[in-house]
Amino acid sequence: MSSPLLTVSTSPHWLGRTTIRSMHLEFMLALAPALITGFYYFGFPGLSVVLLTVASALVTEIIAVRVTSLPNRIHDLHAVLLGLLLGLILPAGVPWWIPVVGGALTIILGKMVFGGLGNYPMNPVLVAWVALSLSWPEHMNAYFAPVALGSGGDFAVTETPLMALKNDIGSLEIFELWDLWVGNAPGAIGATGSLALIAGGLYLIIRRLIPWQIPVGALLGCVLMSLVAAYTDSRLLEMGMEGLAANLKVAWFHLATGGLMITAFFLAPEPVSSPVTPWGALIFGLGVGVMTVIVRTWGAWVDGAFYAVLLLNTLTPILDRIRPKVLGKVISGAV
Amino acid sequence: MSIATWFKGVRLPRGTAFGPPTPLPPPERLYLPLRQHRGSVCQAKVEPGQQVGMGQLLGSSEEFDSAVVLSPVSGTVEAIRDFADPAGQPVPTIVILNDGQDIWATPEGEVRPPLSDPDEVAKARPTRLLRRIREAGLVRAASHGLPLHVDLSPPMAPRSYLFMTGIPVVRPTDTLVIRALDHDPPVCPNQAALAGLNLTELDLGVTALKRISGAEKVILAVPSGQVANEVMALARLREWEVSSQSTTHFPYCTDNLLVMSLTGREVPTPYGEPRDVGVVVEPLVTALEVGRVLISAKPNLERVFAVAGDVAKPQAYLARLGTPIAEAIKAAGGAVGGSGKIIVGGPMMGFAHFDTLTPITKETEGVFVQAAEHLRRYDDHPCIHCGRCVASCPVNLVPSELSKLCEFQRFEDAAEADLFHCIECGVCAYVCPARRPMVHYFRHGKSEVLARRMEE
Repeated sequence: MSSPLLTVSTSPHWLGRTTIRSMHLEFMLALAPALITGFYYFGFPGLSVVLLTVASALVTEIIAVRVTSLPNRIHDLHAVLLGLLLGLILPAGVPWWIPVVGGALTIILGKMVFGGLGNYPMNPVLVAWVALSLSWPEHMNAYFAPVALGSGGDFAVTETPLMALKNDIGSLEIFELWDLWVGNAPGAIGATGSLALIAGGLYLIIRRLIPWQIPVGALLGCVLMSLVAAYTDSRLLEMGMEGLAANLKVAWFHLATGGLMITAFFLAPEPVSSPVTPWGALIFGLGVGVMTVIVRTWGAWVDGAFYAVLLLNTLTPILDRIRPKVLGKVISGAV
Repeated sequence: MSIATWFKGVRLPRGTAFGPPTPLPPPERLYLPLRQHRGSVCQAKVEPGQQVGMGQLLGSSEEFDSAVVLSPVSGTVEAIRDFADPAGQPVPTIVILNDGQDIWATPEGEVRPPLSDPDEVAKARPTRLLRRIREAGLVRAASHGLPLHVDLSPPMAPRSYLFMTGIPVVRPTDTLVIRALDHDPPVCPNQAALAGLNLTELDLGVTALKRISGAEKVILAVPSGQVANEVMALARLREWEVSSQSTTHFPYCTDNLLVMSLTGREVPTPYGEPRDVGVVVEPLVTALEVGRVLISAKPNLERVFAVAGDVAKPQAYLARLGTPIAEAIKAAGGAVGGSGKIIVGGPMMGFAHFDTLTPITKETEGVFVQAAEHLRRYDDHPCIHCGRCVASCPVNLVPSELSKLCEFQRFEDAAEADLFHCIECGVCAYVCPARRPMVHYFRHGKSEVLARRMEE
């Protein structure tokens, strides 16, 4: 034949523009508002923690790829994204080696032992976070008060709104709710600015990079469960707070504080470890929200959002079996 | 279109709008496969060296599910040898050397009196119309199409399907959908045919199809904002419903999904057809061919098809059947850029070919040329479980899981997970950030399962 040399492959012959790298870049773009908020309130200590985790994660991934002779996929920026996320959920007051160890743990314990991107069962960031907070609880609770609250640019370790709530339910009255939403409260570097996180999360949902079911489910589950928690809490009655309005205030408080927002929009919908089917994702999200409030109210830990995600991650394979009805599928055995 | 489907599928770039099809001069050599549709292969009725006239019978079969192959030009039979069909399978093919005379085999080329009165057609016996269609060798103008007389005949025994309600449903055909839409946007023969429409052909063709199928209602599915006023006037006169659809929302112009959005009926898969829910869907090109066959009383020897992609002048053409793709690409100004892929069909669902002598057959919708610079590469990255394929799959499968099952050779498990309901539209591969060759895995899985079941 006189044909020119032609390429043959299966369809489709067009592919979309989204690659793993572009997806991770968009995730980072969505995290930018939270990062800026964190930098605004926690200054250079906060920024240096984030930079250290990113650097540590990158270096660890390069070493891990060398050691295991896995294909080098460092250019997909997954290590950078994981480092960034870990940095944002660490307190600003940790010593320098905590983020370094954390970044390494994220990559080694969370990701590479399972074979890299796509294969790990649980969110690597949270695996590292749990390892750190079980090993060095005293450092992992060194939350700085934001500069705006503290005394003239001096950073001071204080208790977070959730710690205060755990000790004394009366602290509901202490914190201004608006401060909690903009992030002007003690807490992790990137987890306090709820509005910034919502902005980033909405971007991800609109770009269809995360299923909307998970954040919506998480927030809904949190509100419902905290209403239940508030309704059954006798201490509220003793304070004279009664009725739906007071209970809603508790729910509002739970929504805005701790790691819930970063969990709902960034950690729970982490692609590899969350379900993909619509109903599975919704149940996953609801589970995260409900477990968060359960741990916060009755558990031993102060914040339950991260533990909730790890728990629900183990259910992902089961939740993925809740498949939607296939179009045109006939009841089996009926033809 | 419901809210759920709005977020499914993909939005493809709108291709260049095609004008009416341009006639292409018959080439020097024509290649006529003895099977140009889904069904049985014809036996050759001519021998190498024999003189043939236009419209002369080249191949036919005793089987019902085959369409006759007629000579589109006059000339000499040069050889009969195997060529690859659009799916890549070898099919015996008759090569004809064109003498350029275009002499009809029968003196006038007419076998039966022309039918050009719509009222007469509307009252004609369906079997009589069907016989004419069969003699003209018409095939449904879609990839993997059935011979038209098979497509229009009701099945021997009515099939019933249990739907979610649990009630068996046997529906008589009540709706005829004329699809002036193309499922792979840049390759759009139907839209081109709509642009250069002969109203008499349309009227006759649709009336005949309606009469044969027994449908009461005709729906003309057209691309939004591309219908001439005369067509609208004719549709009003004949009481056809005209429905505008988006052409860029892939794959919602494929038959089953089109039926779903036009009538709300769910076509049973994997082995069902729109007919099982009482709908017959025919492409506009086919309807026009039926009209032309009835008016001229001559067999149909030409085909409207589109040449799109990286060619100098993407355009629709009217060419003799059997014209090699190379001639069509040459007429369109030649391929631009390095040699990449030549795709029969569109960029989303077409088949890449290795031979530019592959002919335009009765099931060809068009040719898409892709330059080497525009080739996209797949990757063997593991699935990252992002769920974009699940969110986009138009038939609600979980492609990520299926691709993993097929990748690791668990084919029976994949079949359990509804692998055979996949329509191979390629949306999952299009949206996949890991660039996994999803459709490749599914086709491999399906063929493995079928092969194993054949062995048992």
